[in-house]
Amino acid sequence: MKKDLEEIQKIIGKLELNSKTQIKDLLNYFLQTHLNRNKVDNFIGDYPTFIEPVHLEDNVRIGDDVLLGPNVYIGKDSEIKDYVEISNSIIFDNVFIGKNNKLGNCIIGKNTSLVCENINVNNCVIVGNIKSKEDLYKIIYKFE
Amino acid sequence: MSDNNKREVNRIKELESINLSREEIRDFVIETKKEVEKDNDLLAKQLNDELKKRGIRSIDIVGAIGAGKTALLEKIAERLSKKYRILVICGDITTRVDADRIEKHDVKTIQINTGRECALNAYHIYQVLKNQDLDNYDLIFIENVGNLICPSDFKLGTDMRMTVVSITEGEWVVEKHPMLFKMSDVAVINKIDLLERLGTNIDKMENDAKNFNPHIKVIKTSAKTNENVDLLIKTLEL
Repeated sequence: MKKDLEEIQKIIGKLELNSKTQIKDLLNYFLQTHLNRNKVDNFIGDYPTFIEPVHLEDNVRIGDDVLLGPNVYIGKDSEIKDYVEISNSIIFDNVFIGKNNKLGNCIIGKNTSLVCENINVNNCVIVGNIKSKEDLYKIIYKFE
Repeated sequence: MSDNNKREVNRIKELESINLSREEIRDFVIETKKEVEKDNDLLAKQLNDELKKRGIRSIDIVGAIGAGKTALLEKIAERLSKKYRILVICGDITTRVDADRIEKHDVKTIQINTGRECALNAYHIYQVLKNQDLDNYDLIFIENVGNLICPSDFKLGTDMRMTVVSITEGEWVVEKHPMLFKMSDVAVINKIDLLERLGTNIDKMENDAKNFNPHIKVIKTSAKTNENVDLLIKTLEL
């Protein structure tokens, strides 16, 4: 798992126009290969809904009414705010996802801060510090 | 809408009671609740159409904690896992205890932990099914969260709903839950191996179910002794 995450991290660090198929394949491969059962016994927060499989690393903080899964990996020290929904996605370490955002088939890079709220995105890579929807549309990398 | 109003709506949504809404937002709350119910029903219909199109049979199972839903599913899986390719979706507030028990009988299981939600809804099932290769299955069971109240609000898109009660819950359990029996196709009264000792009025339970829903089929079973498990499978047309 760690090796595949490192490879994905490396590729999303220097995205090119022709990386789309590679990213999509790596995401699918990771989710199908490394996720099977839930590993959700270590989060901080109340009672989110988990659709198997969901894998949480240590010190993940989760808000109210959050729906995670199926096929979600969340790296350590990340924070998911209220009403967020995430499926088929990899969230790397130390990521912040603001309220009521909906992510499907996404890769969110290490230390990314998605401060803006009420966004609904699919099939994309997001890396950086995003304070508004305008910021998001400037940096979002759609792979489908 | 102001932040205060948003907070109020969220609070009411959590409490699931329109009566608590302030007068100025009452209409909005009612409309929102109606829309959510409508969306759930629409999604459930789409799911059922898709499953039917693929020739996949689907049954959801509702009942209180400890009624015997999982025990019956184990018995059914044990008998049918060679005949059908079975997927069982298990709903629970937390843990994977039920899915682990059922999985031992050679069927694929997927656990949904609902956290604070007291029932599965059509969106949960949609999320599971859209991520599965449905060509791998002929039969899908959905075991709802152990609860006799909330599941009656949410259709899940199955062909058939089976409600399980047990004689240990007392003879009034059916009479006290009309909605669930109105929308069920099969009512199972389980743990009949304990009938002599408990003396529960099982005829009253059966009559109550039929009074609420004249079309409901009532089967009295014991998952422990296997009594009428084969009859139940026949009643489910499997």
